Amino acid sequence: MSAEKGNVKILVFACRWCGLIGADGAGRKRIELPASYRVIPVDCAGYVEPDAVIRAFASGATGVAVLGCHVGGCRFNDANHPALKRLELLKTLLDTTGIGGKRLLLGFGTAHESHQYAEMIVDFHREVEGLPSMASWLHIAE
Amino acid sequence: MNPEFIRTICPYCGTGCGLVLKVEEGRAAATYPDRENPVSRGSLCVKGWFAHEFVHHPERLTSPLLRKGDRFEEISWEEAIALAAQKLKETAAKYGPDAIGGLSSAKCTNEENYLFQKLIRAAFRTNNVDHCARLCHAATTVGMLQTLGSGAMTNSISDLAGADCILFIGSNAAESHPVLMGEVYKALDRGAKMIVIDPRETPVARNAHKLLRLNPGTDIPLLAGMMRHIVDKGLHKTGFIEKRMENFEALETFLQAWPVEKAAKETGIDEAVIREVAETYARAENAAIVYCMGITQHACGAANVIAVCDLAMLCGHVGKPFSGIYPLRGQNNVQGACDMGALPNLYPGYQSVADPAIREKFQKAWKADLSDKPGRTVTELINAAGKDIRALYIMAENPCVSDPDVNHVMEALQRLDFLIVQDIFLTETAKFAHLVLPGACFAEKTGTYTNTERRFQLLHKAVDPPGKALGDFEILCLMGKALGLAFDYTSPAEVMSEYANLVPAYAGINFDRLERAGLQWPCPDEKHPGTRFLHGEKFTRGLGRFVVPDYTPPMEKPDAEYPYYLNTGRVFAHYHTGTMTRRSPFLNREIEEPYVEIHPDDANALGVGAGDWVRVSSRRGSIVTTARITDRVVKGSIFAPFHFTEARANMLTNPALDPACKTPEYKVCAVKMEKDHEAKAR
Amino acid sequence: MLDQVKQKSKEILEKKEADGVLGLKKGPWDVIHPHVFTTPAEVDSLVLEPKWLFAKMARAILREKPQAWRLAVVVRGCDERAVVELVKRNQIDRERLLTIGYACDGNQAKTCLCSRPYPRKLDAGSAVEGVDPLADERVKAYLEGDAAERMEKWAAQLKRCIKCYGCRNSCPICVCVPCKLEDDVWVERGVVPAEMVSFHLIRAFHLSDTCVACGACQEACPVGIPLMTLQLSMREALRKDYNYEAGLDANRKSPVLFDFEKEPRPGQAVPDWVDSMGKKP
Repeated sequence: MSAEKGNVKILVFACRWCGLIGADGAGRKRIELPASYRVIPVDCAGYVEPDAVIRAFASGATGVAVLGCHVGGCRFNDANHPALKRLELLKTLLDTTGIGGKRLLLGFGTAHESHQYAEMIVDFHREVEGLPSMASWLHIAE
Repeated sequence: MNPEFIRTICPYCGTGCGLVLKVEEGRAAATYPDRENPVSRGSLCVKGWFAHEFVHHPERLTSPLLRKGDRFEEISWEEAIALAAQKLKETAAKYGPDAIGGLSSAKCTNEENYLFQKLIRAAFRTNNVDHCARLCHAATTVGMLQTLGSGAMTNSISDLAGADCILFIGSNAAESHPVLMGEVYKALDRGAKMIVIDPRETPVARNAHKLLRLNPGTDIPLLAGMMRHIVDKGLHKTGFIEKRMENFEALETFLQAWPVEKAAKETGIDEAVIREVAETYARAENAAIVYCMGITQHACGAANVIAVCDLAMLCGHVGKPFSGIYPLRGQNNVQGACDMGALPNLYPGYQSVADPAIREKFQKAWKADLSDKPGRTVTELINAAGKDIRALYIMAENPCVSDPDVNHVMEALQRLDFLIVQDIFLTETAKFAHLVLPGACFAEKTGTYTNTERRFQLLHKAVDPPGKALGDFEILCLMGKALGLAFDYTSPAEVMSEYANLVPAYAGINFDRLERAGLQWPCPDEKHPGTRFLHGEKFTRGLGRFVVPDYTPPMEKPDAEYPYYLNTGRVFAHYHTGTMTRRSPFLNREIEEPYVEIHPDDANALGVGAGDWVRVSSRRGSIVTTARITDRVVKGSIFAPFHFTEARANMLTNPALDPACKTPEYKVCAVKMEKDHEAKAR
Repeated sequence: MLDQVKQKSKEILEKKEADGVLGLKKGPWDVIHPHVFTTPAEVDSLVLEPKWLFAKMARAILREKPQAWRLAVVVRGCDERAVVELVKRNQIDRERLLTIGYACDGNQAKTCLCSRPYPRKLDAGSAVEGVDPLADERVKAYLEGDAAERMEKWAAQLKRCIKCYGCRNSCPICVCVPCKLEDDVWVERGVVPAEMVSFHLIRAFHLSDTCVACGACQEACPVGIPLMTLQLSMREALRKDYNYEAGLDANRKSPVLFDFEKEPRPGQAVPDWVDSMGKKP
C-alpha cells in the first residue's frame, strides 16, 4: 500500500485571532515551509463545521488543520470549547474508518507565533506523508 | 382520520421489493420497506423509498380525453368506451382483424395483462398483441426456449448468496436491480469470485475481481473462447452432458472455429484473462450467470442468450441450488406480462397459438374463435402502423421514448386511423392518441405482479385513482363488455382463478395463499409450496440442448462520419421513460438533467468540459445533452441513459432488429458529437 | 409480556390518556403491519414482532394532528432512546407522546448487538442483560487492527453502496429538512456508489452524539454495510469522556454542545492548549 508521499495537501483553517497571526508571521519572516498547505482564515475555530473538514477530505485534501485560540481564551465566549469537542469526535470517526484521526490536526493555542506555526506545518507535513494513501476512498466514478 | 399502512409491491423494477405505503387522508404520504418480503427483507433502493411521490402528482390523468384538432377534450366514460369499441370494430370490419393491434403493459398486473390479451384475441380474432418485453428479454424467451425449454430465471434471487462464482455479463444490477446486489455481496463475503463482462466500468464492475471490457457486441466470441478453453482443458461436466444434454457434437464443432486467440482478437480481451475466467467459472462448485440488457439488446441477442445457456450447461451449473442462469427481468411485471400471454405467438403459460389442441382449449374456455396465425411484435406493429395496422390500443407503454428511432415511431403513430392510449399521465405517446383513457397506478389497484424469480406477489389497493380515472382492470372489463365479451369479473381474484385453470404451472396459486407470501411458479396445486429452482431432474424441454449461437457483429459500427460507439441504458435514480421518476421530486433532484458519459480523452479532443452542452447525432436523429466526463466508458464510446424525454437517447438508436426475436440493437450504434454553443444561451 | 402491553394499551385508550396507540397489528392471513389502534377491542390484534421502530413514525403522525391529539407508542429500548433524542431536539412534544415500553429478549439483544435491550420506562417484560457490541468479532474486525487494512476494508464495503438513502430514511434521528446529504454543495449527486467520504462521513458524524444504536440503518442497507459499527467508537468516546449516552435522559443534551465548565470531562483537567500532535507550544 502506498503512502501519501508526494500527495500531501493540507488545508488549514486558521482562526484570525491567533493561528492566522502565526501563519502571517511565518510568511512575513520568509520561513521556509513545504508548499503543501493552503490557509483559510476564519473568525473562530467554532466557525469550522466538521462537514467542511469532511468536504475537504472528499475534495482531495490529505490533511486538515484547525487552529484556534487557547481553550480559555476564545474571543467569542468559549466557542472553541464545543469546537474542540466536536472536532475530537470527528477524529474518532476518522480513526474508526482507518483514514486516521492523525489527518486532522487540532491546534488550539499552539500556533500563534510564527515559529510555532512553522514547526507545526513542517511536522504535520511529515506526519501526513507517512500515512497510507486514502485514494481508495476517493476512487469513485468521476 | 388516522394513517393506514398498506402492504404492496414496488412498481419499478423486476426485483419485486415489498413496500408498506402510509396512507393519510386518502393520499400515499410515505413509503417504508416491508420487512416481511422475502426478496427485499426490509431494504429498498432509492426509487422504492420514494415510490409514493408521483402518485398524487397534479398531472395525473383524471378523465377520458378525446382529441379535437390540437386539443384534448374531456368526455365521459360511456362515450369513451363506446367510441373505442366502435372504432376498433369498424377498423376490423374494414381492414380485417389483423389490422388491429394491442400493446399490453409490463407495468400492469397479471390479471390486467391476462384480460388485455384475451380481449384482443377473443374480440378481434387476431394475435396482434405484444408488450415491451420485445424490447428487452424477448431474446431470453426465444433463446432459453431452445436450450432449456423455459425462458425464466432458473433459480431464485436468494440462491445468488450461495454461489462460489458469479459471472455478470451485460448487467449493471447495482443501478438497475439494486436490492438484488445484497445477495451477490453475501456471496462475496463468503469468498465467492465475481467476474464482470461489460464494456463499461459500472458500479458492479468496481466490486468485481475481474472486469472484462470487451468490444461492443462481441459476447459470443468471448463466451465461445471460454467454452473452447473449458473443453480443451477437459473441465466440462461430461457426466452431466451425457445424462442431461443433447447435440453436444454440434457445439464442439462450433467451438473449433473459436480458438482462444481468435476470441481474444475479436473481443479485445487478453487471452490469459479469457482462460482464467473460464477456469474460475468451470471449476466453481456452484456458479451463477447473471445477465441483462447488455447481451439481449443486440442484433444477435437471442444467440447471445443461447451462448450463455450453452456455457452454463457445459459446466453443469444449471438445475441445482446456488447455480443457474439469471436473466434479470426489467419491469416490475414484465415476467408476468409474458406469463399471461401478452405475446403474439404464445397464449398464457407459454402455450403456442399455432398448436390446434391448445387453441381449442382456449377457444372453449373463452367461448370465442381464435386466430391460428402468430401476430406481429411491438416493433413490427409500429413499423406497419398506417399500412397493415390501422388501429392500436396501447396500455401503459411509451414507445415514443422507449422504442428505437423515436422519430420514426412518432411518424408511424400519426399514420394510424385510431390510436387509444391508456395511461396515468399524458405521456409522449399519449399526446398522439385519438382517445386517452386515464388508468391507475400501483398504489390504486389490487392484483399480482410476478418478479424476475417467477414469484407471484400480491398488491393491495392503498388509495383511489384521482378524479374519474379507473383501475385498468375496471377499464378492461368495460371495454370487453362493449366488445361483446363476457367480462363480468367481480374482482381480480376471479381473473386469477380463470387463468390458473388454463395454465398447469399456476394452478396452485390464488389470492388467499398470496396474502401470506408470494409463490414462485411452477405451482401446480394448492399444497405445492412453489418452485425455487427449475430443471432439477430434467429440463423443461426434457433434455437440455446445446444450440450453436449465430454470431452477428453489431449492425452499425463507428465510421469516419459517425466515429463513436453509442451505448444506452439505465441509471439508479430514474426508471425507463421517466414518466414516474421525473415527476418524483426527490428522484428528479438526484439526477435532474440528461447527460452522456464521455471519456476524458474524447472530451479533451472536443473541447468539452464537465456539464457542457453537447450535440450528439446519429443517422436517425440528434439530441442536445450535458457531458459527464468519466472513465466509466472507454475512449471512443459514450453512454446515454434513456430516461430523459428532453434528450431522448432513442432519437439516436438503431431500429435494427434481431431477426430471431425482433429485439432492437439498443446497445450499439454510431454517433458523432460536438460541443453545442447555442445551448449556452438557454 | 404481549398481554401486559395489550393491557397497558387498552387502559390508555379507555382512560383517554391518548387518542391512539401506534404499534404492530396482525391482520387477516397473519399479515403484520404498523397500525394506530383507537379502540380497546382492536388492541387484541396487537403484536410485538418483527422489529419495527416507531419513533420517527410517531413524530410524523403527531405533526399531522391537532395540538390536543395525543399518541401512545409501543417501544423497545432503542425506540425509546430515539424518542428521547427527538424530544431533546424539540421534534416531539413530550406532553403529547406516551410510551409503552417492553423489553427485548436475549436473542434479540444478540442479533442487534444491543447493550441496553430495554427501555427505561419498562411496562412489560423483564430486562435482560445486553451484549457489548465492542466485544463482537465482526465489529472488532472493523474497529481494531492495522489502520491501513481497516481503511481498505471500509472502502470495500462502502464501494457497494447503491445510494438508496435507506440508512438516512430509516434512522429515527434523521428528520432534517433540508438534509445536507441532498445538497450537492456537500455531496456529489447522481452517482453510485455514493461519494464515500462526504455521504457516509457526514451522515455518520451528524449522528455522532445522537445515535441510539437501534441498528435501523444497518438493517435497511440492502448491501449489508456495517453502518452501526461506524458509530460505536464515537458513542464509546462520549461514554468514557463525559459519561454520556444518547437517548437516556431527555434533560441532558449532548455534552459536545457546551463548554467545559457546563459539561466537563470528569477525571480530566480542562485543557489549556491542545496540539493533537502532542507538541507543547
